[in-house]
Amino acid sequence: MLELRDLTIRAGAETLVEDLSLTLAEGSLTCLIGPSGCGKSSVIKWLAGVLAPELSARGEAAIDGTTATVPHRDIAYQPQQNTLFPWLTAAENACLGLEIGGMDRRAALDRVKVLFPTFGLEGHENSFPDQLSGGMRQRAAFLRTIVQDARVLLLDEPFSALDAVTRLRMQDWLVQRLAERPRAVLMVTHDLYEATQMADRVLVMAGGPGRLVADIPITTPSAERNETALAEIRSSLKLMLLKETS
Amino acid sequence: MKSVRHLFPALVLLTAFLAIWEGYVALSGASLLVLPAPSDVLKGLWVERDDIARHTLATLGVAVVGFGLSVVFAFVVSVILHFSSWLRRGLMPLMVASQTVPIVALAPLMVLWFGFGLLPKVLLVILVTFFPMVVSLTSGYASLQRAFRDQLVSMGATRWAVFRRATLPSARAHFFSGLRISATYAIVATIFAEYAGARRGLGIYILAAKNNFRADLVLSAVLVSACLTLVLLATIHGIERTTGRRYRRANDA
Repeated sequence: MLELRDLTIRAGAETLVEDLSLTLAEGSLTCLIGPSGCGKSSVIKWLAGVLAPELSARGEAAIDGTTATVPHRDIAYQPQQNTLFPWLTAAENACLGLEIGGMDRRAALDRVKVLFPTFGLEGHENSFPDQLSGGMRQRAAFLRTIVQDARVLLLDEPFSALDAVTRLRMQDWLVQRLAERPRAVLMVTHDLYEATQMADRVLVMAGGPGRLVADIPITTPSAERNETALAEIRSSLKLMLLKETS
Repeated sequence: MKSVRHLFPALVLLTAFLAIWEGYVALSGASLLVLPAPSDVLKGLWVERDDIARHTLATLGVAVVGFGLSVVFAFVVSVILHFSSWLRRGLMPLMVASQTVPIVALAPLMVLWFGFGLLPKVLLVILVTFFPMVVSLTSGYASLQRAFRDQLVSMGATRWAVFRRATLPSARAHFFSGLRISATYAIVATIFAEYAGARRGLGIYILAAKNNFRADLVLSAVLVSACLTLVLLATIHGIERTTGRRYRRANDA
């Protein structure tokens, strides 16, 4: 569905990412993991059309075989932190993407408010972000990303600001939400436990310059994923990451 | 109650200062022509209240018109500079250089070029108050968090949409900081402009009082001008507190 071909990202003379290619299938959740600084966030930012201006990039994205320019209406992106605007209510934040896409504000608000109970935010439509818990803020950010009805979701370390317990709850919750409609999801994380718990497939990046070194399918059904079932994959991923950072 | 507690140290120090001043004049027998006591200043203010009120209204009118136009002008220029890096690089050094021109030199030139009417005084107020607001606004625009911009751009927002939905709200606190700095200059700039040449206003009143060796009336006018500045600052503070409550929310939410 989404194809990324030969992406090279440079910071001046330094090559951050070199000839990286990947494909994302519809209905899949792919996690991109790798050591800090290997360029995984830069890859996702390029796909979202928000690569830092000091970086230059060459590469091609295609959706269903057709070359796509980024940012693209079929690709929704959720940055790592500070994703909610503090001066907008939860509902106003959630409908931002719809409004930018041309939907009337009232219609956009009506559409997102219907989804508030599903996202565990019922009664908080008019709350401002600083009145919500960390988990609720993150759910509101997911609502804003998901409601855009994009076919590809790019999530940049969506749980990095959450405490351990909230993070575990949110992982299961997000997998359920994403399963409601087939989409291609690419999620950047530095947590291999999170990656193996949530993803259908884990792509491992190595640094200097950034490149893909492994493509590991996770075939264990979601309901059966636990420490024992995933022990072997986690162990091999851990060794791989340690080798790449040594 | 909270504001009284906040102002208490300033009120204590001011009272102490006035008491020492009053005591010194009483004990030293200083001449009214050289150093009038605070009570003399207040007496002069009361006796001359009609005349001072007339001049105060003239000063206030010029300051409000000049300051109001300056706010509008600064906002428009800041938006233009935000969208044109070429103009920003070209105009910012010139604007910085314009701030090095002393107001003492500028005020008589304004009167010379534009006469004794409203225009030279308003222009002088704009020149003095415009720059801090432009600098504050451009700093405010630059303070936009990268994640907010990225979020909107990834949704397909245009540059104008990013400006309207994220850049402008992010700059609100900076705008009011600039407004407060400029407000402190507005009354002083107006009085300076009047001092250089006017028919009415506190500036010309101070000049006339000085020529008549009425130090008490000079200080009365100074007291009124200080009060005008405080009223202007309080008005801005009031507007900031009562409007846009949502924009004062924590940016780290």
